[in-house]
Amino acid sequence: MTTLTRQDLNFGQVVADILCEFLEVAIHLILYVREVYPSGIFQKRKKYSVPVQMSCHPELNQYIQDTLHCVKPLIEKNDAEKVVVVIMDKEHHPVERFVFEISQPTLLSISSDTLLSHVEQLLRAFILKISVCDAVLNSNPPGCSFTVLVHTRDAATRNMEKVQVIKDFPWIVADEQEVHMQEPRLIPLKTMTSDIVKMQLYVEERAHKT
Amino acid sequence: MSRDGWMKKKANAGGDNGWAERGGYMAAKVSKLDEQFKLDAPREKQKEGACSSIFTGVSIYVNGYTEPSADELRRLMMLHGGQFHVYYSRSKTTHIIANNLPNSKIQELKGEKVIKPEWITDSVKAGHLLPYLQYQLYAKQKGPLFPGVTLRQTSETAGPSHGPLQPSIHPPQRSALNHEPPSPSFNSIPPYPSHSRPSQGNVQPQSIQQSSAARFINPQSSHTDPRHRSPLHTYVPSNPHPNLLQQQQQRAGQQQPQINSSCSRSRSGCKEAELKINGLLQTSPDMLSLSKTTEMQEDPLPLTNGHTHLVNGALNPEELSPVTDKPSVDRDKSSEEEPQSPAGRSQTKPDPYEFPHSPPKQSEQRLPPPPPTYQEALKATESHALLKQLRPPCQVNSNPEQTSPLRLNGGHHSFSSDSTAKLDPPTEKSSSSSSSSSSSSSKSSAQLLAQTGGLISEYYSHSRLHQISTWRTGFSEYVNELHSKRKAAGATSFPGKERLRKSVAQQSADSRAVCLSVCSGTCASVKSCILHVDMDCFFVSVGIRHQPELKGKPVAVTSNRGEGRVARRAGANPQLELQYYQRRHTHPQPEKADEDLYRTPSQESPESHPNGVDQDASALSMAEIASCSYEARQAGVRNGMFFGKAKQLCPSLQSVPYDFEAYKEVALTMYETLAGYTHDIEALSCDEVLIDGSALLAELGVSPDDLAKAIRADIKEKTKCCASVGMGSNILLARLATRKAKPEGQYFLKSEEVDDFIRDLPVTSLPGVGPVMGRKLAAMGVRSCGDLQQVSLSQLQKKFGPRTGQTLFRFCRGLDDRPVRYEKERKSVSAEMNYNIRFSRVDEAECFLTNLSMEVQKRLQEAGLRGRRVTLKVMVRKVGAPLEPAKYGGHGICDNLARTVMLAQSTDSGQLIAAAVIKLFHTMKLQVQDLRGIGIMVQLLEGNHSVQQDSTGSRTRSIKEMLLNKSLNTRSSNTDAADNGTRQEKSSSTAAPHPPSTPEPVPGTSRDQQASRRTPKHSRARLNLSIEVPSPSQVDRSVLEALPAELREQVEQSWTNRSHRRSPSPQPRSLKTRPTTPPCPPTSAPALYTPPVGTLVLQIPNQPDSPGIVLELPNFSQVDPDVFAALPKELQEELKSAYNRVTNVQPQAKMSVEQKNPLLQLKQSGVGLGRVKRRYKRKNAASPVKRSSPVKRRHAAISPAKTLPSPVKSREPMNIIKTENNPSTSASKPDVPETLSKFIPRPAPALAGACDLTDIKTLLREWVTTITEPMEEDILQVVKYCTDLIDDKDLEKLDLIIKYMKRLMQQSVESVWSMAFDFILDNVQVVVQQAYGSTLKVA
Repeated sequence: MTTLTRQDLNFGQVVADILCEFLEVAIHLILYVREVYPSGIFQKRKKYSVPVQMSCHPELNQYIQDTLHCVKPLIEKNDAEKVVVVIMDKEHHPVERFVFEISQPTLLSISSDTLLSHVEQLLRAFILKISVCDAVLNSNPPGCSFTVLVHTRDAATRNMEKVQVIKDFPWIVADEQEVHMQEPRLIPLKTMTSDIVKMQLYVEERAHKT
Repeated sequence: MSRDGWMKKKANAGGDNGWAERGGYMAAKVSKLDEQFKLDAPREKQKEGACSSIFTGVSIYVNGYTEPSADELRRLMMLHGGQFHVYYSRSKTTHIIANNLPNSKIQELKGEKVIKPEWITDSVKAGHLLPYLQYQLYAKQKGPLFPGVTLRQTSETAGPSHGPLQPSIHPPQRSALNHEPPSPSFNSIPPYPSHSRPSQGNVQPQSIQQSSAARFINPQSSHTDPRHRSPLHTYVPSNPHPNLLQQQQQRAGQQQPQINSSCSRSRSGCKEAELKINGLLQTSPDMLSLSKTTEMQEDPLPLTNGHTHLVNGALNPEELSPVTDKPSVDRDKSSEEEPQSPAGRSQTKPDPYEFPHSPPKQSEQRLPPPPPTYQEALKATESHALLKQLRPPCQVNSNPEQTSPLRLNGGHHSFSSDSTAKLDPPTEKSSSSSSSSSSSSSKSSAQLLAQTGGLISEYYSHSRLHQISTWRTGFSEYVNELHSKRKAAGATSFPGKERLRKSVAQQSADSRAVCLSVCSGTCASVKSCILHVDMDCFFVSVGIRHQPELKGKPVAVTSNRGEGRVARRAGANPQLELQYYQRRHTHPQPEKADEDLYRTPSQESPESHPNGVDQDASALSMAEIASCSYEARQAGVRNGMFFGKAKQLCPSLQSVPYDFEAYKEVALTMYETLAGYTHDIEALSCDEVLIDGSALLAELGVSPDDLAKAIRADIKEKTKCCASVGMGSNILLARLATRKAKPEGQYFLKSEEVDDFIRDLPVTSLPGVGPVMGRKLAAMGVRSCGDLQQVSLSQLQKKFGPRTGQTLFRFCRGLDDRPVRYEKERKSVSAEMNYNIRFSRVDEAECFLTNLSMEVQKRLQEAGLRGRRVTLKVMVRKVGAPLEPAKYGGHGICDNLARTVMLAQSTDSGQLIAAAVIKLFHTMKLQVQDLRGIGIMVQLLEGNHSVQQDSTGSRTRSIKEMLLNKSLNTRSSNTDAADNGTRQEKSSSTAAPHPPSTPEPVPGTSRDQQASRRTPKHSRARLNLSIEVPSPSQVDRSVLEALPAELREQVEQSWTNRSHRRSPSPQPRSLKTRPTTPPCPPTSAPALYTPPVGTLVLQIPNQPDSPGIVLELPNFSQVDPDVFAALPKELQEELKSAYNRVTNVQPQAKMSVEQKNPLLQLKQSGVGLGRVKRRYKRKNAASPVKRSSPVKRRHAAISPAKTLPSPVKSREPMNIIKTENNPSTSASKPDVPETLSKFIPRPAPALAGACDLTDIKTLLREWVTTITEPMEEDILQVVKYCTDLIDDKDLEKLDLIIKYMKRLMQQSVESVWSMAFDFILDNVQVVVQQAYGSTLKVA
């Protein structure tokens, strides 16, 4: 059993890669399930051995990719506490928040080859949960948009300003309006604890959506 | 006695210089001036160009003519970053600037820094802040500075910092002069004894400092009132002079170091802090005596005192606000006790907290009778508000009669210690010396009390209504007493009953037929009969009982007399407020009324001025009417109305002053009268009583009406006041009947009439249905009880919650199964203050919250209760409402806000409450300036009696608390919230309660069976190694200080990095430290040491297969290398050697353990017998949560722990096992031992050992299905588990479990279960809310 510490560059990258890949799938799926975009722009693909929906709108895809590209260094350094997909109504008030709360397990280890398949199983569970989450959520008002927020740990924001991963795609501090939700209700969807990452997904939903 | 002299002084100095007086107006003005200053400063700086910040933190006040002028000084302060105060504030002004001062002012300014203006000019020239010492106007002013310094020093555990004596700096005679009061008792003492024993100050720094701190408070007293000196004199001979002398010496001896440090300190520039503390100390004696008097409200004398105190304290909250934090003072206290001789300890010294309740009889007897000025004093305080605005503030306290009771009380205090000394003639010598120290210590802790709670105590001693409300408790106690007396004495006489019996017999002799019918009627129809006795407009009838000419006239009890008009005050807009209140009354919808605040006054103009009184010159009196006669009620006057308004409604309205004495007297008479009939009495208030007359009626064979008649006649005769009696088969009906009975009547609501009667009643007449619920019901279309009967139970429960819904459902049918309770259970304990709250800074508010929390703590402790839910209620000035309310010091128009937080554990600690409340306060984000009222309420109370009460109060008292405590700590410190986060490795020796000579192992972890199951050959249990360090606030300082330095460091370190440390391994470190540890004093050891021994023992009979004990080390690979590296060298080595030794198993050792166990068991079960029983009971109560089945154990062992199949074990010598075993957390946490036994850094949250969802579900199902009524502790366990899940960020599991429980519990037939679920859910939601800012959606 090899025990790798947080400082291991390799390790952080592995985690970040896995997570960003997953997040991309998840975001697409959320957009589809929550009907932020018309279902016509989505295509059925296969990921983690389950069907998922992926947008084929190039600009949207680019946006998601860029965003995640910027998230990745944060995850690598374990600076990202939460990655939040916010669905906002026409007035740009959030109606739903899909919160991926990421933390590192207390005992980090990449022990064996079972790792990847194990993690994949866990991530698949997430995906499946997302695809059925409309059962527990109230439907959204029409005309929604979305945005991605990252809650960073400590002083990570300062470093972020220095290192811009993609030119002309900087992080900005979220508006209070985008962050604050009235009477949020919390619906836990899935929690996973693996050797490399501990992540839980919950949805915060505005009590009165319309 | 001498102290009394100081106190008197204080009262004068504090009050009549007038500087202390600062009501709302002055505060407003001062803050305005400050703002002007701030605005002007940059402008001035611009003009001048040259500016600096030399005087940062310096606030000056210019007194009299100065050279340069005050204006010039102001300009200089602006330029150089200082503050300039137009009005002197003891707490804020740091320096007084004056060229010369008249003698009277010198007297006033004792204790303050009076400095020549050259200091400022020279400092500006020099470009930096010069020490002000050489610029002091009067060098001897330094003397009184000592108290401030003293306090600081003691709080820093003054030791080496004292330095050598330097008498040259301050000529001793000068300082002695300062402290020599003209009191005759002191005159008889050699003037300068200090020189004879100058070293004493250094020998006993702590106690001396205390005594000096206490005594220096008011250095220059002058006995102006001979009347109150006289009782003192009688005590002079009884108190041996050596004692006094010694005290004097101590003081004198202490002066030197103080002077020393005061100089160095002032040079180092801590002036502000010094001064603040100084000012504080000066006011504290007032509060001290006051806080005592508040406790004695039942007594006429303290009552007067309390009122008087207002003059000194309540009106200048600014002065009181800078309170030193309690812990430090606490430490003072404990450390101060240290050096005292055992004789001094054994002496029964007056506990400052206890004292007010049980003043020694002797002293009470010797006290002069309460001055007959009660009425006057009352009047004086009532009109005090007026007084204050009309007169310059300095005159307020000039009335000697007002101050006199205060002094009296101070004397009273010192008497008590004297009298204890006298009580003990054989030990005269030791006690005489100890009495001085004990009195000083009681003084110091009383100071503490005064500093923290004084302001609030003042308020409560002053608040009339509060007093009345406290009476109820008093009467309840009275009833209780009756009961206990009856039990003790066997048969008691019921004079009333006997009389009634006789009259019945008489009657029966007269007409047998009538009696027969009565008897049969009673027996048949009245099964149970509750009588509700209510005095008719109590205050009024008491007020006019000796004024027959007022009978039949409209009379109101209020503080205002005369025309109902008062002079107008600046800034107030009574009209607006009046309108607001009116609208509040007329429009029941407050939300709407709120928005109307801005409506112009002319629109409604409610004041019709019939007699053309000029509205501008005088405003309507805002004095509220406490009670009014029925005649007045007919005219539309209502209780609670403002007197001015009432006077308009009913011009002939007469006002009667409050007469608390009479109320008390009458109420007591009434209770006595009723107690003459039966003891089945429930005290509702001072004028309202419930009587369970069932037994009485059955015994006497009279009808309820006859009984009521007799009672009413009796009351009328004895009190000259009328009472109404309502009767019914239950409490509700009795109360409702009283409504009909009033005034001066009686009504028996027969059960056959109930339906008709109740159907037409408005819902609001039901108890518990207030305006809010009334409105809610009205919105449902429910107005009468008949309407309410149509609503289904489920609907009501849905709308109002399960309990309220059910109550409503029953009430509207006239059903009420509440018994008449002689002992009332308290639902909440609260302290509120909405008078004279004007803060200017946040820290003032925080300080006030702390004080108020201490008041709550006091009340909780008095009631012997502890609560979990803390509510902060705040009144905030409504936007647009006038800054200054019409009623002086009142709250005006306010928004009422409330925030609630659930503590993780029941508490009666003011500190914890304060912390929670201050947090709440900050989250509310209010303007402190707009605060008008603050209240703290504690709910979800539980009694203290169930758990062991210990003297310090800060210790954790039970296992459960230990558990909960931890989670509290975790959360409050915002650390990594996992269970283990708080569990600290720490040397266990600090906690070992037994002398090291008894090296018996404690079978602490025998419960943990994993090891024994895996290696059945050697049945052994695993040792839990992690030890919890209690949070700093819970640790007895003295114990900590008594520890060797390294241990102390460890403990302190563990506090600092609580979140990072984990327990990686057994704690061999204790091996090293153990021998060096002195045996802790048994009294204080438990502060650090928590496991109640008894709990451990129990495990053995339960699991007989594992009697042995083995110390187990975790697998080496599981040891966190970081933590290992962080361990001290020798520990590392020991650990290593331990790992090396693992292979050498020593069977003998095991044998010896096993042999010793039975012995141990006996011994230990003796220690904690009570608890063992309790645990046993609970276990046997078949609560599956606690039961651990093998299945679960296996799961727990295998699942996340990743323990290797063959864990390595080691043997240590027996004594090690003992020392380590004893304080292990398994003892403190026997309910979830499995979580602890895993040596992974962060065990998964587990419920009774189960981690896996299916196991937990099984557990829960078993729990819910097999038990009809859940134990509270089990529920708390579940809550704890849920909280752990949240902390562990496993919301999914939480969600599943909550949903599962919801299904289980709500389906259960027992409604208790659904309540239990509600409780769990509520708690979980609170935690989720805290962690995530949102609540779980539970479909």
